[in-house]
Amino acid sequence: MNSFADRFSTTGTAAELRRIKEYVAEDEEVADSMWGSEAGFGAMAHGAPNFMVPDVPDPAAFLRLHTDDHADPSCRIKIKHGTTTLAFRYKGGVVVAVDSRATAGSYVASGTVKKVIEINPYLLGTMAGGAADCQYWETYLGMQCRLHELRNRERISVAAASKYLSNLVYGYKGMGLSMGTMICGWDKTGPAIFYVDSDGTRLKGDLFSVGSGSTFAYGVLDQGYHWDLTDDEALELGRRSIYAAGHRDAFSGNTINLYHVQQQGWKFIGNYDVSEMHYNGPTGTQGYGYSIRTEGRSSANPPA
Amino acid sequence: MDHFPTNWGRPRDELYDQYNTFPLHQRPANHTETFSGGVQRTQQPIVTGTSVLAIQYKDGIMMAADNLASYGSLARFKDITRLHAVGDSTVIGASGDMSDFQYIQRVLDDIITDEFTAGDGNSLGPAEIHEFLARRMYARRSKMNPLWNALLVGGIQNGKRFLAFVDLLGTTYTAPSLATGYGAHIALPILREAVDPNPDAITEDAAREILRNCMRVLFYRDARSLDKYQIATVTEAGVSISDTQKLDTNWDFADKIRGYGAQTQ
Amino acid sequence: MPDGSFERPQQRQFNPYSENGGTILAIAGADFSVIAGDTRQSEGYSIQTRYAPKVFRLTERAVLAVNGFAADGNMFVKKVKQRLEWYRHAHAKDMPLRAIARLIQTMLYAQRFFPYYVYNILGGIEEDGTGAVYSFDPVGSYEREACRAAGAAQSLVQPFLDNQIYFKNQTPAPGTNHPTHLPLPDVLSIVIDSFTSATERHIEVGDGLEIYVVLAKGRSTQELASIGGLQELTTRAEGDRMFVVRRDLKKD
Repeated sequence: MNSFADRFSTTGTAAELRRIKEYVAEDEEVADSMWGSEAGFGAMAHGAPNFMVPDVPDPAAFLRLHTDDHADPSCRIKIKHGTTTLAFRYKGGVVVAVDSRATAGSYVASGTVKKVIEINPYLLGTMAGGAADCQYWETYLGMQCRLHELRNRERISVAAASKYLSNLVYGYKGMGLSMGTMICGWDKTGPAIFYVDSDGTRLKGDLFSVGSGSTFAYGVLDQGYHWDLTDDEALELGRRSIYAAGHRDAFSGNTINLYHVQQQGWKFIGNYDVSEMHYNGPTGTQGYGYSIRTEGRSSANPPA
Repeated sequence: MDHFPTNWGRPRDELYDQYNTFPLHQRPANHTETFSGGVQRTQQPIVTGTSVLAIQYKDGIMMAADNLASYGSLARFKDITRLHAVGDSTVIGASGDMSDFQYIQRVLDDIITDEFTAGDGNSLGPAEIHEFLARRMYARRSKMNPLWNALLVGGIQNGKRFLAFVDLLGTTYTAPSLATGYGAHIALPILREAVDPNPDAITEDAAREILRNCMRVLFYRDARSLDKYQIATVTEAGVSISDTQKLDTNWDFADKIRGYGAQTQ
Repeated sequence: MPDGSFERPQQRQFNPYSENGGTILAIAGADFSVIAGDTRQSEGYSIQTRYAPKVFRLTERAVLAVNGFAADGNMFVKKVKQRLEWYRHAHAKDMPLRAIARLIQTMLYAQRFFPYYVYNILGGIEEDGTGAVYSFDPVGSYEREACRAAGAAQSLVQPFLDNQIYFKNQTPAPGTNHPTHLPLPDVLSIVIDSFTSATERHIEVGDGLEIYVVLAKGRSTQELASIGGLQELTTRAEGDRMFVVRRDLKKD
């Protein structure tokens, strides 16, 4: 057969088939699970969802070209970025503290982002990197954790949950996902923190800080941290560390969200304005930044 | 994930700076495209048509396009029709790649035939043709294999005028007067002034005169245009595409133009 | 290479995206929600049309505004509406607002590697009767807020809203507090002022303004009586009510 002629002829059965195929071209995005009650996240209960990938030789380069505002500030699609998050383990559980700023280029896209994702009553995930990547995959992780509970009649361990996430994002390595998260919780082994990122790195540890302001947070955190902190000291250390990052890192700030994880699950402690912390502090009496620099100072009494 | 704060939250470039050895203050650049092998797609138009103009008027819509298909700066084919009747109440006009336009004509003729063969009393009007084209163009751009055209779709349906635009990206819009390509810059302001305040006040002769005038303005300034053009009208009576008409031009002003090339005054 | 470029063969590639200007905005009240957008569509310095809607009614109590690349936006709205229709067929009711928000997230994220270049703002009434606004980034991260502006003039409008809605950098008079929710007439005035001002200072904003107003069930419509260009879109009696206000903006 002359396959070349077949391929390009406009008459005959081959051409007819081709034309029919073109007309009734199945829309692969439409699955049965999009109907009815499965129309939301339910569609993913059957396994990892499918993603549309551009038909170009290097999809990751394509994505970078259009969404990487770091390499090209004039790129159109600006994905939300920038963060300071921290979590540490101590004798009384886990403290999780994050800021709430999201930036797109140099624009502060939002000052009210929830960067602690409540996966279930015993698991928290933090958000650094692409906001959508963290939100989506940690919600998805929540579904898988629930399925684990139903299948095994017990809660998933922090180690298993974090490994699930790590394996999941590793499957997309090199495709342009961007997330750096800490999976925090309390399981049979006690308080636990795992750092998971989009490269596939997964680390167990006592203390992590992630994001553009992490260096500032580490500075405060490391000098104040020890295992035997009281609950109040621990929460204050988390809050003070994020304040430091919010104060010194342009891509972090606005407000601080503080969480405490104990045996009975996580608890939201509070939301604190970074400027308010600077001038008045958490109790409204002693600011972290302003008063200690100015109080009692005058030309007659200069700083030592 | 590296630990340089400024790199945080960005898509990773695995091919570049894998070990984060790059200095902090410098940024990786984006200006690369990998060479695409394999299938040849329309990555740029080859034989092209220039502007198409269209307006709504009292009895329907009127569309104009010249007869030129260029090959780069070469005026390659001077007897090409860029207006095409689809069914008996729609006309489309195309600028951009002429081979893609010929493909579109074939596809549209096919669906008109299919619709006729069905014999169910339904027919495709301009709104359906435009929707079809918009979906096709968007689907092709989403496959990174666009049909490199900007098309105007006009017609009459249930006694109402229809005039809309669709291009290679799948972008669509509608307005009382439309123009593609160079015409969107040079002719559209003239069309808008004449038409947009009240299309119902424009008679067929007036509409023809407005379009002829714009085609002339385009011929004076668009280096890829021709003084031979056709006009299509769609009214309740149906579609008619005129024979080729020649523009009467006056170049007396030409020798008074100063400031180009070696001429200094 | 040291300058940050790559030594690889280069070829000009087709760019599947464009940017069509315009601005959208939504504000949530205690028992109402206002979603607005201008109607200019442009590409570069050319105005393509003076009337291309960017705000769409999804259900009796949900409105979606899309901004960015118009072709992506229209296609996205089409697909959301289709999914909502399927939901109606399966459940004989409209999808609740918070579920629509989650649906939009998954639909946007499905295109994570070939994103819709669309900024979405969803507004409407929640099942508990409160006004709500959800804002999204192009790949689906979302958040419920009291107000949000997106698009060409977001950097002009959002700071104004921060000041007028959130009372940012305003100190209340001693012994008083800022209200948590503004009344409808105040919100409408703020929306109209936002757009007239954005029209003055941004070339991609203008021509026309469409303001959708969704009122919770049983709420009085009296505050809308004096608004010009009002049209009711409610189709079901005994439910939430929806209105649209169409106004002219400057066309230069």
